[in-house]
Amino acid sequence: MKKYLGFILYLACVIGFSQNKQILYGFSEIPQSLLQNPGGKVDNNWYFGIPLFSHIHANAGASGVSTYDLFADDGVDFNSKLESIVYDLKPNDFFTINQQHEIFSGGFAYGPSYNKNEYISFGLYQELDAIVYFPKDYAVLVYEGNQNNINRPFSLDHLNGVAELISVLHVGYNKKVNERFTFGVRGKIYSSIINLRSLNNNGTFITKPGDNNVYDHIFDLDLSLETSGLVNLTEKTDFEPNDLTKQILLGGNLGLGVDLGFTHQIDKQWYLDGSLLDIGFIRHSKNIESYELKGDYIFEGINPFFPEVGSGQTADEYWTEIEEEFEDLFTIDTVKTKYTTLRPIKLNASINYAFGEKLDKECDCTSEDSEYLNRVGLQLYAIKRPRLPQVALTAYYYRRLFNGLNIKATYTLDSYSFSNIGLGMSAQLGGLNFYIMADNFLEYNNIYDAQSVSLQLGFNYIFN
Amino acid sequence: MKKKILCVCLISVIYSLVFSACTKDVDFNQINDFEVSPVVESSLIFLNEPANKFYNNGVELTTFQDSVAIKIFKDKFIKDHLVKAELVFETSNSIDRGFNLRVDFLTDTNTLQHTFNFSVPASPTNSVLIYNYTEVFEGNELLSLLATEKLLFTLNLQPGEAINESTLGSIQLKSKGIFYLNIDNTL
Repeated sequence: MKKYLGFILYLACVIGFSQNKQILYGFSEIPQSLLQNPGGKVDNNWYFGIPLFSHIHANAGASGVSTYDLFADDGVDFNSKLESIVYDLKPNDFFTINQQHEIFSGGFAYGPSYNKNEYISFGLYQELDAIVYFPKDYAVLVYEGNQNNINRPFSLDHLNGVAELISVLHVGYNKKVNERFTFGVRGKIYSSIINLRSLNNNGTFITKPGDNNVYDHIFDLDLSLETSGLVNLTEKTDFEPNDLTKQILLGGNLGLGVDLGFTHQIDKQWYLDGSLLDIGFIRHSKNIESYELKGDYIFEGINPFFPEVGSGQTADEYWTEIEEEFEDLFTIDTVKTKYTTLRPIKLNASINYAFGEKLDKECDCTSEDSEYLNRVGLQLYAIKRPRLPQVALTAYYYRRLFNGLNIKATYTLDSYSFSNIGLGMSAQLGGLNFYIMADNFLEYNNIYDAQSVSLQLGFNYIFN
Repeated sequence: MKKKILCVCLISVIYSLVFSACTKDVDFNQINDFEVSPVVESSLIFLNEPANKFYNNGVELTTFQDSVAIKIFKDKFIKDHLVKAELVFETSNSIDRGFNLRVDFLTDTNTLQHTFNFSVPASPTNSVLIYNYTEVFEGNELLSLLATEKLLFTLNLQPGEAINESTLGSIQLKSKGIFYLNIDNTL
């Protein structure tokens, strides 16, 4: 038990979730669950998503701080609240948003009419994803200045963030090999519209007592920001919404990726499934512009009476030289270097147990191929993020209320809280399917205190 | 029938949870109170010379003067957010001659905005005498500082025993500026 406790504690320290669709995962009545596991169970014969309304997903989160912490109307001075946040947050704390909007999607089963065991699904969606880590040392430097921080190195690697706006065109193949095993694969073409990346920052700034003067100010700067697509917005004055449409339709910087997944039915009641999503890359070669700030310099002040740099130099020339050194140090170089980004790879896995067979009204008995009404399970989710992978662990209960109405409740451990309750439902009326799901319900008595909120909804037309 | 009732109840619960999220009082206008007050310290001028530096080819050098152009106070951020400044000078003298340092604050066209000077006493026994001086800029002096585009430093040895190659002692001068900033939501 101790062994596991350690692991759970470790999880508790590093977990977090964004893009985690713990309610949608495994919810096979909703066609979009195939995007979470291309090898998941398929329930329908064919479907199409109502264009622009088939999947809308939004998630925002911050680890370590909530809107309420800062903006509560509680009479406490705003600046003292801000101060405690600046000092409490750690460099690994982050702010994240993730939004997805499906433009179109569809799918159909094929194979022999008595056993349609293969399924093709496809679609196009747009995704916005951003994560920014709290730049702790920068914040402290702005907050205090260097006066109280003599000898303290300010770590410039605390600046970390990525943001991207992409569209994804995908086609997936799912095959039920036999009653026990289903697998699936999805190919993706990414078109990156905007990408910003500042990850490889290094260096320090430190003020130390000096030999010649009161202080030596030691600058060691190695900062960079890579961008693609941004120049379209900032420089091209003739950029029109049409151009954006073009970029969504594979006109941006392109990339390739693949999703893999499987489901293994262990016995009638137990099954195991898993998926790896977004194993892929995007090559940024168009509309690129990167900014670099690099250099070392030690400033100790100037000696105007006996300038030692060169001979016959006036103090002004000597000072000009120092000024130029400073200007060089803080000059941002603009370069156009092509770069490749890896997509944030995601892992899903779950173990599930179904129970409670549906009773047949006619004979008050269970029929041969009756389905179970309840299911419980454990789901693991992990996503590779710039500083640390984020992990979330979910326990869920699923219930089939009656034909066409299913609900799922989840309890998730994540880096925002240990009390994340999520609820989702899928309703089918004739061919029309509607689903909605949201998490962090316990925080809904004060939404501003939620460190994370996530919502998904959509409409599909499903033919079973 | 029972099931349908159960179902309707459940749906209502879910909907009320989804759509009736409530809030406690928050006040986003508090952002207007945003204010941080960093204090930045920076080395300024320094000097560390033995007595014989003030003697060249049989002639005693008593006056040194040079100027440097200063752009920092033209910066809008500094103009808007600098609320107080102090210039702190730490000197140690072990020469048997006092000296005087004068700092003139000038515009590009040499209009005098501000001036101060201080004198460091001689050290007859060549022991190290410490003398510190602080000039504070607040109110009108701060405005003068912010109008400054050029600093003129003048170092004068005060009258006393003549300096030659073998005069003992040295002069050391260190200085720093302390800049008090106040950054509010007008940023």
